[in-house]
Amino acid sequence: MKYVRPALLVLAILAAWEVTARSGLWSPILFPPLEKIARALVAFVTSAEGASQTWISLYRAFAGFGAAALVGGLLGLMMGRSPLVASLLDPLFSGTYAVPKLALFPIFVFVFGLGSLSKVALVFLECLYPMVIITSQGARGVPRVLLWSAGSMGARRWTTLRRVVLPATMPYLFAALRVALPVALIVVVITEMISSVDGLGYLISYSLSSLRTDRILALVVVISALGLALDRLLLALRDRLVYWEKLDTYFA
Amino acid sequence: MRKMGSVPIFLGLLVLWQIVAASGGPAYLLAPSEIAKSFVAALGTSELYGHIAASLGRALPGFVLGSLTGILLGLTAGVRRGFDETLSPLVFLSYPVPKIVLLPLFMLWFGIGDLSKILIIAFACFYPLYINAYYGARATPRILVWSARNMGAGGAQIFRRVVLPAALPYLFAGLRVALALSFIVMFAAEMINARSGLGHLIRDSESSLRFDLMYVALVSIALLGYAGDRLLRYARSRALAWQE
Repeated sequence: MKYVRPALLVLAILAAWEVTARSGLWSPILFPPLEKIARALVAFVTSAEGASQTWISLYRAFAGFGAAALVGGLLGLMMGRSPLVASLLDPLFSGTYAVPKLALFPIFVFVFGLGSLSKVALVFLECLYPMVIITSQGARGVPRVLLWSAGSMGARRWTTLRRVVLPATMPYLFAALRVALPVALIVVVITEMISSVDGLGYLISYSLSSLRTDRILALVVVISALGLALDRLLLALRDRLVYWEKLDTYFA
Repeated sequence: MRKMGSVPIFLGLLVLWQIVAASGGPAYLLAPSEIAKSFVAALGTSELYGHIAASLGRALPGFVLGSLTGILLGLTAGVRRGFDETLSPLVFLSYPVPKIVLLPLFMLWFGIGDLSKILIIAFACFYPLYINAYYGARATPRILVWSARNMGAGGAQIFRRVVLPAALPYLFAGLRVALALSFIVMFAAEMINARSGLGHLIRDSESSLRFDLMYVALVSIALLGYAGDRLLRYARSRALAWQE
């Protein structure tokens, strides 16, 4: 029952689209009817080229995201627990936060070449910030009572880290991952649109130049579906690993 | 005392950067002194201001448009269950989708000029505001609503005098996110396709190996972002004066 209203809204939007597309007010190039879009979507999904291009983009996104998750998580943890590290890295991150790192992409291309590395490097950089900032917040906020309890039960530093700090930071780690994942996708798509010869972003640019609006929309659907699916995967993973604190899921 | 720690570290990094660049680093790594020189020089030209104006002329209208729409719809969803059940699922589900992918589509529909960019920026800014306004409206302490109703306030009055002020902190949080987002999306859109603006300037100067111009554009954008954020924080402190 809960899905009735939004489903109706979606149907209404689709219907409005179809009516506008068939009304002849705009050229079918600008406003392709749903059937054309669906055809392009099926053609893309079932083609080998579609799969390989998707894989290229995903590979870049995951490489950067994974590296940022590891490095960022570690750095965040260290920053949260050690005031020394925090005083060193905190000004670095909060100071350069305002700089749109995308602006560095041309330099990255200059340094790393036109291939995947420049894109992976930018994804890494962009994902690093939320990872570090959010994780360090979590690591900093470990309830002291828990630390004291562990200490009074004879736990050494490593055990405390493993059994108290890490689990306490996990919710924040996952919050950071959930923020960083869409960032990774966005950055990959943008960088591929700016300068690339392969990948989904490039395909979008290419479809734009060839005025294949139906394919642009099909690609939008594919990318959206990817973003959604990956987000759900992350949520499922969180549910398993942070089993003591469930998220109140309002589709969130 | 902690605050004191950041300044010397920053200065230390700058000095390190200066040394590395001055002692023969790669061509694209300009020394801070060089950057400062180029920046001051650029401030004297009309070119830089032209680009800044072009960029702001896209980011700000998009920011305002998207934020207002987000606030309106988000607040409505926060107070009206039916509206919420219809619209919120769509908004929350489409949130992790990169909005920038629609830029080519917008360019086809609205031309390669400013309108397409303003609209995509507005679209991106809509989300944080909708979500924040929604949660802000929902977070209104029930007891305040009951008190108001007890004193005979009607629906509109309650909204204006209770819900809105309660949601204001959330709105400002959303505005901060949206402002930063508007700069980023503007940047990306300009790098992808534009004839003017700071994003275009960066791309253009990089390909002509004018790294000094590139850094100037970078610094400008950082300064603009910082200034905008400060302005917003000031507005927030004025608007939420009753909360401090």
